[in-house]
Amino acid sequence: MSPHTRFFAALLFLLAAALPLRAQSGAAALSDMCVGGQASAPIRIEVFSDFQCPACRAFFLDTIRPLLAGYARENKVCVVFHDFPLQMHTYARAASQYAAAARRLGLEQWVRVTEALYTDQPQWAEDGKLDPVVARVLSPEDMARVRKLIADPAISQAVDQEVALAARRQVRVTPTFFVFANGREQRVEGSLSYPILKDYLDRLLR
Amino acid sequence: MMRAILHWACRLFLAAVFIYSGYTKVDNPLQFAVAIEGYKLLPPGMVLWVVKTLPWFEIALGIALLAGIALRYTAALAGALLAFFIVIMAITYLRGIEASCGCFGLGEPISPLTLLRDAAFMLPALFLAVRPRIEARLMPSRRR
Repeated sequence: MSPHTRFFAALLFLLAAALPLRAQSGAAALSDMCVGGQASAPIRIEVFSDFQCPACRAFFLDTIRPLLAGYARENKVCVVFHDFPLQMHTYARAASQYAAAARRLGLEQWVRVTEALYTDQPQWAEDGKLDPVVARVLSPEDMARVRKLIADPAISQAVDQEVALAARRQVRVTPTFFVFANGREQRVEGSLSYPILKDYLDRLLR
Repeated sequence: MMRAILHWACRLFLAAVFIYSGYTKVDNPLQFAVAIEGYKLLPPGMVLWVVKTLPWFEIALGIALLAGIALRYTAALAGALLAFFIVIMAITYLRGIEASCGCFGLGEPISPLTLLRDAAFMLPALFLAVRPRIEARLMPSRRR
């Protein structure tokens, strides 16, 4: 084998090794995007949440929802939302798959599905009937697409990637959220009420 | 000599506990706020007030202990504060609320162990608060 052939073989090998990484980062990019606000916002909040965890329900409905409607809409905050279904919760992974499928349709669909899943959590956490909850907030066409997407292994892989990301970030409990501002990261475990988070954000934005 | 070493050990230990505890809260005020809210005793306005004042009060108390400013009284205040923490934690634990104690940063749940630890922290505070009185009673000549 000539030196040229060896060089090109090595180059090909490196390219082949880099391709799965690129594909992986491309798939993860959707979950890294802001669900409220833009990446240019001065504050970034990354949330790791489980659809079946009651504290996550309170955190989403009472804190994240007003945050999305206020600070995120004004582009003061970028909110990134990661699903982290805990193994102890029977239906959490299925709920994450519905949300991941809705995310493929668009942000608006994701918001509607996420709100519905958290609002009706006490009910579906008992009976596991997720499909009617999601169907109630989507158009029949979108629901058909969601049902099709759920059967796609890519959706399951997307949830796996979120779980892997949570492991890499050493997330142990839900909800856990990270606040990035002024070049500093603050890790917070547990649910926090909106007035307190708002006061903190106002001080950061001052 | 031994009593002097014990006196300094108690002062340094207690000062370190309060300064470190205050520092972790100042460093991550949101985590401290999560812990205070978890006790389900205070409205959000009061939680904010505690989050903003208590860590600095702890740091100031630690510095006062280290510097020996009105030592008997600062030690008594430290003991009273620890007793207050123990009562609040015990009430929350007995109510069956799974809250983080908020003692030293990230989520440490309230348990008999955290209660015992705070009770152990009270010993050096009591020693520093009571020792001068005992010594004064035992050795009245030294008061002159």
